[in-house]
Amino acid sequence: MSAVIETRSLTKVFGVNGNAVHALRGIDLVVARGEFVALVGPSGSGKSTLMAILGCLDSPSAGGYSLDGQPVEGLSGSALARIRNEKVGFVFQTYNLLPRATVARNVELPMLYAGVGGRERRERALALLEKVGIPEKAGRLPAELSGGQRQRVAIARALANGPALLLADEPTGALDSKTGAEVLGLFQELHRQGHTVVLVTHDPAIAALAGRRIELYDGLVRLPEAKAA
Amino acid sequence: MRFSGAFRQRVAEAWLEIRENLGRSALQALGIMVGVASVLGGFSISDSNQRRSDERWRKLGGIERMNVQPAAAMRDGSVTALQRANLGLRNDDAADGEALNSKAVHATSVQRFARARLRSPNADQERQVSGIGGDFLPLNGYEVEQGRAFSMTELAAGAPVCLLGAEAASVFFPSGDAVGQTMRLGDFPVVVVGVFRELVFRWREGEPNAMAWRNEIVAVPSALVAARMQGDRYERVDRMTFKIPELNLMEGFARDLASLLKANHRQQEDVRIDDIAARMRKRQSQGQVYNLIFMLSGILSLVGGGMVNVNIQLASLSERVREVGVRMAIGASSLEVFKAFMTEAVLLTSLGSLGGLVLGVGFSKGICVFLDIPLFLAPGSFFAAFFVASAFGVVFALFPAWKASRLSPMEALRYE
Repeated sequence: MSAVIETRSLTKVFGVNGNAVHALRGIDLVVARGEFVALVGPSGSGKSTLMAILGCLDSPSAGGYSLDGQPVEGLSGSALARIRNEKVGFVFQTYNLLPRATVARNVELPMLYAGVGGRERRERALALLEKVGIPEKAGRLPAELSGGQRQRVAIARALANGPALLLADEPTGALDSKTGAEVLGLFQELHRQGHTVVLVTHDPAIAALAGRRIELYDGLVRLPEAKAA
Repeated sequence: MRFSGAFRQRVAEAWLEIRENLGRSALQALGIMVGVASVLGGFSISDSNQRRSDERWRKLGGIERMNVQPAAAMRDGSVTALQRANLGLRNDDAADGEALNSKAVHATSVQRFARARLRSPNADQERQVSGIGGDFLPLNGYEVEQGRAFSMTELAAGAPVCLLGAEAASVFFPSGDAVGQTMRLGDFPVVVVGVFRELVFRWREGEPNAMAWRNEIVAVPSALVAARMQGDRYERVDRMTFKIPELNLMEGFARDLASLLKANHRQQEDVRIDDIAARMRKRQSQGQVYNLIFMLSGILSLVGGGMVNVNIQLASLSERVREVGVRMAIGASSLEVFKAFMTEAVLLTSLGSLGGLVLGVGFSKGICVFLDIPLFLAPGSFFAAFFVASAFGVVFALFPAWKASRLSPMEALRYE
């Protein structure tokens, strides 16, 4: 089974010589297709930085990273934008929906950037909303939805271009426990359908739902979990 | 291009953005509006005034004329002995002038003035009498309304006939039946053969007729003035006029005419050649200066508006950094972000320009009403105003759009 994520000695340094911060200090990580991985660690452990690099929002200072078999280090900004568009689906803690666009338009947006035609966009968006369980909300604005519903819209948007990797950053952090559980259920369901999910969290209970736990500490993967691959 | 329908989408989104931020957008559009309005308004007022002036010249017989008169020195008394020994401007000069360049000169007229006591059964006045010759009527914007003009034979022979301006006709023959009547010019009778159409021109509505004096004319053949009133066998004239439709020939003709007249007048420069077209050109270039000033003031207000726009746009960018981050995270490239911002700016500029055109028309209409001149709007002014404003809109939008597109997606997403 091919790896969706494969990193080699990934490092990230912020700042300059004098007061450089080593956020990542050599991460070797392999995530196979169809895996459900929880990325855990205390704040400051480098979770967010790693996630940004895995999602091609940021570039590593050194080391290699292949996403879905394609090396991404040294790619131009627009090439990275394209990879984010086609291969990565982001789900954020605060949903990050466009407040002035309807639910359907929010879901369509990645397809718009991918050059999908108007009619197909609309059809796929409605199908995705069906899939996440809120087809009746297509014409609503995000502000008219509950937190759980908004996160479902965000998940539908993340799935819009059939990404190789779903990256969720504390997706239940802003939800009450019941709705949070529902959203997690949705992730589990997506995993069962074959999606590769990487979920960043600091909640051990949520991490326990994943097939594998990767714990970060001080910019390194804490053993023994690092061996599992 | 891999974005299908993306342009329409961008415009729709830009429109949404504008509508959602009406206050901010209105402020931005206002700067453009004022600039466009001031360019268009300035041009229109200048054009309208130009139009008015052109109309006046048309009524005076057109601008493609050249007048030749005795030099001012010949009348104000400081005449040299050599000049006094000359005969001055004569009928022959007009004929020579016409022969000088028959291609350029399409018509020639002469005029000779005299004062005389005029008597009819209804009035008895001392007035100026114009002795006219050649194509005087068309060259000076006169049209015969009743009766007829002088025949060639009457002009050549100095027949005792006369034409009356509208005012003169109403003074001497109030009952309106001047044609065919006889009146006395000094000590001899002349027959009225025709009456001119009244000439009316007002700079503004309600002002007195600026051409009223031209309706007071009493015209007789210039040969009659020479023979019967002044006994002048040299047929001297007070003014001659050449019609030269090709304005670019005018300058050369003026030069040739000057040397011809100098030769005719024993090397004395005792005439003044008045190139009306040159005068008009000067006026027109003055008009262009005004247009330039209007353009400049419009541009200055566009620069001011543009800088305000840059500031507003940058301020609004900080509100939208997170949104830009989200868009980038789901796949918008820098170019896409840049285009989105530019689309918004261009749309705003276009709307502002349209508003400015409306405002500008209203503005120039207001000024023209105030000046009591008819409004004239040249299509070119609309184009110029719109073009200049759009250019400024685009230029000033570049920086904020570029700044937005340079955001790092990670930092933009984290921005609070």
